[in-house]
Amino acid sequence: MSEIALAQNPVSPLVPVVCKITKIVTETPDVKTFHVSTLDGKKPFTPMPGQLGMVSILNAGEGMFSITTQGENHLEFSIKRCGVLTDALHEAEVGQNITVRGPYGNGFPLDFCKGKDILFIGGGIGLAPVRSLITYSIAHRQDFGKLQVIYGSRSPADLVFKEDLFENWTKVPDLELNLTVDRGDESWKGNVGFVPAFIEQLAPSPKGDKVCVLCGPPIMIKFCLQSLAKLGFKNENIITTLEMRMKCGVGKCGRCNIGSCFVCLDGPVFTLAQLQNLPPEY
Amino acid sequence: MKAIAKAKLNTLLDAIAKESNLLVPVSGDGTSKFAPYTQGAQLSFDGRTLLPPKDVFFPQTEKMYKFKTNGMNASVETALEAPRLQVLFGIRPCDAKSIHCLDHVFLTKGYVDEFYKAKKDATLIVSIGCNGPAQPTCFCKSMGVNPQEAEGVDVHLYDLGTDYGVVAKTEKGEKLFLDKYASFFTETTAQVPALADFPLEVNVDGITEKLEKMFDHPLWEEVAKKCLGCGACTYLCPTCHCFDISARVAGDQGFRFRCWDSCMFSEYTRMSAGNPRPSKKERVRNRMLHKLQYFKERYGDLLCTGCGRCLSKCPVNMDITKIIKQVREADLA
Amino acid sequence: MITEQMRAIAKDLLEKGEVGTVIGWEKGTFWYNSTPLFISKPEQVDKLVFDEFCANNLAKYLLDFKLAETKTAVFVKGCDARAVNRLLQDNQVSRDKVYLIGIPCPGMKEAPKTAQPQDIAGLPLLTKCKMCATPNPVLFDVMVGDPVPDKKVADRFAAVEALEGKSADEKYAYWGKMFEKCIRCYACRNVCPACNCRECCFDANGLNWLGKQNNLPETQMFSMTRAMHVAGRCIECGECERVCPMGLPIMEINRKVIKDLNELFGPYDAGMNLDDRPPLGTYKLDDPEKFM
Repeated sequence: MSEIALAQNPVSPLVPVVCKITKIVTETPDVKTFHVSTLDGKKPFTPMPGQLGMVSILNAGEGMFSITTQGENHLEFSIKRCGVLTDALHEAEVGQNITVRGPYGNGFPLDFCKGKDILFIGGGIGLAPVRSLITYSIAHRQDFGKLQVIYGSRSPADLVFKEDLFENWTKVPDLELNLTVDRGDESWKGNVGFVPAFIEQLAPSPKGDKVCVLCGPPIMIKFCLQSLAKLGFKNENIITTLEMRMKCGVGKCGRCNIGSCFVCLDGPVFTLAQLQNLPPEY
Repeated sequence: MKAIAKAKLNTLLDAIAKESNLLVPVSGDGTSKFAPYTQGAQLSFDGRTLLPPKDVFFPQTEKMYKFKTNGMNASVETALEAPRLQVLFGIRPCDAKSIHCLDHVFLTKGYVDEFYKAKKDATLIVSIGCNGPAQPTCFCKSMGVNPQEAEGVDVHLYDLGTDYGVVAKTEKGEKLFLDKYASFFTETTAQVPALADFPLEVNVDGITEKLEKMFDHPLWEEVAKKCLGCGACTYLCPTCHCFDISARVAGDQGFRFRCWDSCMFSEYTRMSAGNPRPSKKERVRNRMLHKLQYFKERYGDLLCTGCGRCLSKCPVNMDITKIIKQVREADLA
Repeated sequence: MITEQMRAIAKDLLEKGEVGTVIGWEKGTFWYNSTPLFISKPEQVDKLVFDEFCANNLAKYLLDFKLAETKTAVFVKGCDARAVNRLLQDNQVSRDKVYLIGIPCPGMKEAPKTAQPQDIAGLPLLTKCKMCATPNPVLFDVMVGDPVPDKKVADRFAAVEALEGKSADEKYAYWGKMFEKCIRCYACRNVCPACNCRECCFDANGLNWLGKQNNLPETQMFSMTRAMHVAGRCIECGECERVCPMGLPIMEINRKVIKDLNELFGPYDAGMNLDDRPPLGTYKLDDPEKFM
């Protein structure tokens, strides 16, 4: 993709730039969103929606994360606490220096999506990569048709990006927002149930070449795909992002291959039609 | 063709070593590898070395950058050094082909690996042809390598018996080797001898296309059973290039390095969410498909040069030529 | 001939359904290669062979079959049988899930590295076989062939004693030179029947017990930890040393540990029978404790 701009580093795609955390938003008990700028307050690089960044707390480790969205002068990473590096990130405070390299990966196929209605489906932290495209399509509202977001989490407390869900996105014209939780609580007035069942209940129509962008835990994706197939979505119009262990980010270190594709370079975004041509090893 | 008597090779190597970092095949302590030339070292010119030359460009452990942390602050300093000119002398055609494969990985598809490139650019490669199999396990001829000829090198030496015939393959080779050391060379009209037979042969025609239909074939379960899951094959392989990136931290400073990794190790693809290649069946299959299908699809070459190192050292005699034969004979359901 | 008898026994076991898999050897790439074989159908038994190149210890493969519903048959030489005893003592496999076909072992031969067949009788024994004191299986359900006579074994601690005579600096230099060659392929660990942890501490990524840099401190750390971990459990099959692609004298370390254990706790040979527990796996009131 010609639009890929390397991080401002003169040496190597493997050597990162030092950045700092400028803001931390606690999304859920185990998810935080980190705003990251270079030390002189600039955006480390300008990614396309769906691209990845390699984030490191230098003495804790380095890991690949989807870039949730970006601002004028910063990138956002929404990160779930689940290991050594993410523990260290969750302990970090505003001002903490971290390193970033990227952007990596193909990103969402914007040209393909433009002019079409888009159905976004997210589960749990899986909304993080999807959010980059939702934000982009809101910012370029005239380029897209109707937008619909179906999002679910385990409980109301586990819903990420609450400011978007309950404020920002509710004001966007022609954006339908459907939330569900696996288990509600006293205050929850919305739908209770798993995402795949919720999809079938809402029965979004695939008409008009509608594109579905889907991300969530593997088990949710598996059942959502069955629901989408029932509703008549074409495999070419179902887009998802994959996760594999990654080290280099530039298609060289080898471990994120699925067949002859590298998820870090040729992914992480694939259509279901593309995935069906790859070995089922992810 | 220019030539140099094998008996006089040491005088040439002495002269090269005076000006450049010279790497030659050295044997000793039960192993052989490319190492800096020293007078009196036991040079090993009878075929491929046990350890491949890949570490000249892609060391087993390579520091990428140093870092320091101080409270909330951090700094990063690259460890990429400008290497001085070095001469890699005496690689075999199988290894020349392997460097061509490594070039695909490290220099193409949108990103150039500067650590590899810096060393590759600073190296003059001199290869030596083989007139037959140096080891019974050699099968380069079957893998499309001409044992007597090498591609992608700067200078090639033909084995003419008592002499080496010397031919420059690049301008760099002409200037920095043939011209520079012209006084060491004489003219010869000797012909390259006929190529001896290889006891190990395998037909790879159509192997990639066949494998494309065999991801779910029961063969993988069968061939993987005896695999121990060690990394001997991958570490001795001249083309295996998968690496890990890790860090060494001591207090407030440390460095991040990359190091060889092996797709045979269980830990290689393990994620917090699970492992897409959980057993040796998936791992052996991935190694074979990477060599014989995926790499060909991505870069146009097979990722095996027929050097036979894996075959010679595998603890359980896992034989890639036998697996290729089994693939060719496999019934597609 | 032993090969014929093996095939007959394997065929019988598979035909009667007494075992699901038979683990043996078949011919490999060249005449001097014999390689592990797994068969599950009677018609496959003709692949089985026993010759002077069946060096692989097959016992460790039992770990791959420990959840199998059927019994697994495995051919065991003297060293392999000791390995099975060790796995049984560690509760890694259960005795009623394995069927052991013993083969007295005349000793395995070095591969000559030439494709032209040669006189096998003239080939030297493998180093590991020169040191072997148990050519006959110590544990079996059925035996193929006649026991081979016990042989006089070269003093297995000679190399250790020679090293013990050196100064600390000399020893460090010797081992430093050796471990510098290690490429950390883990062939020694993966072939070792005493290395039967479900997950090796060195594979537990994230914990970082061992860095992945290939340098002397890390390879020493690996090799010494491994030697200590198999202390009292090493059956001296010598597979680690045989499979090491870099030719490291790994058995010298293992034998040093064995020698020390013998001196501390009395003579002990691992895997000779099921009842003698490893010295570090038992507690006696009169155990020496001067090192504690």
